[in-house]
This record gives sequence, C-alpha cells and structure tokens, in this order.
Amino acid sequence: MTSAHRGPRTAWRAAPAGLLATPALAWIALFFVAPVGLVFWYSLGRKPGLYQTHANDVLTLDRYREALGDTFMTSFAGTLRIGLAGTALCLAIGLPFAYWLAVKVRPHRRFVVLALVLVPFWTNFLIRTIGWQVVLSPEGFASRALQSLGVTDAPFSMLFTRGAVLLGVVYNYLPMMILPLYVALDRIDGSLREASKDLGANRWRTMAQVTLPLARPGIAAGLLLVFIPLMGDYVTAAVLGGARGTMVGQLVASQFQQAQNWALGSAMAVVLILVIAVTILATALAGAVCTWLLTRRRRSELAGLAEGSPA
Amino acid sequence: MTRGWRPGMSGRPMADRALNVWGLLVIAFLFTPIAVIVVYSFNSGRLLASWEGFGFDAYAAALSNADIVSAVSVSVRAAAGAALIAVVLGTLCGYALARHPGGRIGRLVTALLALVLVTPEIVSGVALLPWFVSLGVDQELSLFNSGWVRLVVAHSLFATAVVTFLVRARMQGMDSSLEEAAADLYTPPLRRFRLITLPILMPSVLAGALMAFTLSLDNTIISAFVQVSGSTPWPVYVFSAVRAGLRPELAAMSAVMLLLTLAALAVVALVLRRAGGSKDAVNALSGVR
Repeated sequence: MTSAHRGPRTAWRAAPAGLLATPALAWIALFFVAPVGLVFWYSLGRKPGLYQTHANDVLTLDRYREALGDTFMTSFAGTLRIGLAGTALCLAIGLPFAYWLAVKVRPHRRFVVLALVLVPFWTNFLIRTIGWQVVLSPEGFASRALQSLGVTDAPFSMLFTRGAVLLGVVYNYLPMMILPLYVALDRIDGSLREASKDLGANRWRTMAQVTLPLARPGIAAGLLLVFIPLMGDYVTAAVLGGARGTMVGQLVASQFQQAQNWALGSAMAVVLILVIAVTILATALAGAVCTWLLTRRRRSELAGLAEGSPA
Repeated sequence: MTRGWRPGMSGRPMADRALNVWGLLVIAFLFTPIAVIVVYSFNSGRLLASWEGFGFDAYAAALSNADIVSAVSVSVRAAAGAALIAVVLGTLCGYALARHPGGRIGRLVTALLALVLVTPEIVSGVALLPWFVSLGVDQELSLFNSGWVRLVVAHSLFATAVVTFLVRARMQGMDSSLEEAAADLYTPPLRRFRLITLPILMPSVLAGALMAFTLSLDNTIISAFVQVSGSTPWPVYVFSAVRAGLRPELAAMSAVMLLLTLAALAVVALVLRRAGGSKDAVNALSGVR
C-alpha cells in the first residue's frame, strides 16, 4: 500500500521542505551577501569631499595602494604577529586541556567541566577583558599583591603592552579552541589508544601517531575559529593595548567611524579578508605537505617491516 | 575500556597528575577576570580598579543610572527580536537542510551560513553600516533608520546560522518515519509540522533561541557600527566607558547580567541534557560538522 502512495506523496512533501530554506537564504542574501558585495564595490571608489563618505564615479585601485602604505603595513604585520602567536598559544594551552577533558575526566563530571568552559564563553567578552584590565592595572590587586610580597617595589604595570594584548586575545578565544578540540578528541574510540599501547607504542608515539592525526579536523576547526575572529578583533586591543596595541580592526573602524572615508575603510577590510584567507591557505597547505611526508615515511617504515604487505 | 593505572607503566600517574593540574589551571585562568568583575562590583569607591571598601553602592547606582538602564533595555529588546527572527528562519532552514541535504538551495545556504559564522565581526559591521544607510537614507526605507531594527537585523545573521545548525543536527538524528506515518494517514503538512516535527525539534529550537539571545546581548563590534545614537546597546555603552573611565556601576550591572545569562545557560543545559547529550550544541556552536 505504501509503495503505491509514496511516490507522488514524497514529491509533494519534498517541494515545501526545500522551499523552507529560502527565507533564510533571502535574509542572508539581503543582509550578508549584498552588504559585503557593497564593501568590495566601495573599495574601488574614492572619497570625493570632506562631507561625502564615498563615490564610485571613477573606478580605481588607489585605495588599495593607500591601504598598503607604511602605517597600515606596520599595523598589518603587528596584527598578523598577534594573530599567529595568539592562535598558537591557544592551541598549546587548549590541546592538553581538551585531551584531559575528553579522556581523563570521568564521564559524569565531564558535563560540569564543559559547562565551566562555556560560562566565560557566554559572559560578555568586553566585560571579561575589563576584568583583565583591573588585574593588570598598576593600582589593581595583582600589582598590590606582588608589592606586598616584595617581588617588585614600583607599581607593576603590564597594561598597554603587546603582552597584555596577547594575554587578552588568548584568554578571549581559548574556549573557541577548546570546544572543537574536545569534540574531536571525544569522538576517538578509546580502544584505538589501547590497541596502540598493546602493540608496544609508548605514550608519546600513541599521541603523535594515533590521537593527533585522528583529532586533525578538530585542530583545523579550532585554528580557524580562533584565528579568524582574532584578526578582526580590535576591542581587546583597545582595552588592554591602548595606543600600543593598534590592530588592523581599529584602523578599519576609525575609517568608518571617525574619518568617514568608506572607500579606504572598505579597501582595508578587503585586504584584511585577503590576508586572513592567504594565511589560512598557506597553513592548510603546510599541514597537507607535513601529513603527506609523515604518511610516506611511515608507509616506507611499514613496508620495510612487513615486506609484501599492501601498506 | 579500563583506563586505570597498570603495572609496568611507570610515570603514568605523574602524567595524569600533570594533566589534572593543567586542567584546573586553565579553568582558573578562564574564571579569573569574571571573579575579579564580581568582586569589584562590591567596590564602594569611585573608580573600578582601585578598591576602597565593600558595599552595595555600585548596585544602587547602576540601577538608578538612566543611561545604564536604557542601554541594557536596548540590548534586551534587540536580543529578543534577533532571537525571534533567528528561531523562525533557522528552524525552517535547519529542517529543510536535514531532510533535503543534497538540494542546490541547501548546499548554497549551508555554504553561506558557514561563511556568516567565519566572517570576522568587523567585516560584517563595516558591511552593514553603509548598507543600512543606503537602505534607510538613499532608498528612503525609514525602517532601517531605527536603531532597534538595525541591531535586530545585524544580530539575527550569526544567530540564524547557529539555530540552523542546531536544528539540523537534531533533525539528522531523528527518524523520518513518524512524519511519513502522519503523511500516510493524510495529515495536512502544516498540521504535521505542528504536531510531529515541532515537538521533536523543540529542545534545539529552545536552546537555539537562548543562544541567539545571549549572543546578541554580548555583541560589541557589529553593534558599534550599526547603532544609532540614542539607542546605544549595553556592550557599546561599556566600550565607550572604557575610554571615559570605568566605574564600579559597570561591574555591578555586568554581575547582574552574568547572573541572568547563567540562569539562561542552566535552562539550555537542562533542556539539552534531557534531549540526550550536549554534543549537538557544542557541535553547532563550534561550527564542527
């Protein structure tokens, strides 16, 4: 009975279900695709006068030339440095933590620890950054504590340094690294590690050749989720870095908010997107090459161990 | 799958202990600034960072400060609007993606939503500001001159992506036979959606709504661009206060909002737990698929 009815009815069901995605598609097209497209368009224009923000009467690449000037390049380099260092530190801190959470914490406690990781994630990141400002400020309690312990005599000020900005971004984006790493590590069947041990591999070999390769999608997702928003972040730098922590985001923001030069601001935003995309592609390429080399080496090892096996 | 200590593997307990210490240190690190804000919200002094004494003055001052109350109210109203839009669009879209994953529209929407999730906030912000200005001023759609509308629309984009992926994850884990049975019994589509599909989706919809709400409440960068003076949302108010000088009132209001967010989080956690596992939420949130 069903087979006779299912054919036409499935088709009838399929049409509205596919259509259900169109409102979201229209919304995204109208308020994401179109505006971002507009940014690309503006970046080819110019700022015609003091009171106008943009004009596209003449199409030119001059804004890009302007955006790639000395001040901006210095800032880009600084942002890229902070971005790469911050992402690397997040991975270095987050990987052992996610491993601990996925493997060592007992299952019934895991939910609680996960919730603890999520709490800061859901607290306003600006407020958390201000919390660090209080900690690091010369009149804050960290400085007082260090002085009363006799570690330093003068008020201790780490505020408004590159180090403070690095601390801030690592802090702010660490949960974005931990979550995908945890999900990836949690998916790995524990018996694979056991098998590796039973076959005589020590802990480090198991980590390097079983756990980490299997966690690769999580590592990639974590790197992306930290690096991309970090490169666009200017709030952390403004709160903890003051004038020293100038990030590209601040320059872009000031073109839109103070200078009212949308053409130049758009060009800088496009350059930012390109820098992010190129860095990600380069990292992905490097990762792929490393994987290929390692796999090839291991294959030749295996082939040497067991001749004739199709490894 | 016993992972206990085994003889012959010396050094193992030490490595475990090191990992335990590391885990606790990271949790302490994550909570340090939050604890500082909560503690300093009881600072009775005039400046946030210099501790004068314990008192509830900051709470009283925060609740009687018209600017602070208005900023929080703008944020809450924008978050409610954004959550509503995200839930409607995201539920429909997530459902469609789970049931028809191969469709051309589906693939396009998935790619675009993923793009929304990974676009730096500053790019979305600088893109939306000129767009709203051209819609509101050049096209004379005065709707887009309203600060509330701008915030709602701007915040709804990321939130729609989150809700979509949450709902899709939930729907993918569900057998479609219930819906098919209802269809075989000649239940009309809308009634079927209301009676069968929606109850199945409810946990993810609810979780998505609360997440959309909190995400909107916390958004600083996009809000700073699209806001209209006169309806400044709370994070943007705080950001401007960073330059003007931080007072304990901000910490007090933040502590109140933290409490509210935690209550919302507890509800999400309960719902997700009852629905069977926290992984869907984590996956959707972290964009891992």
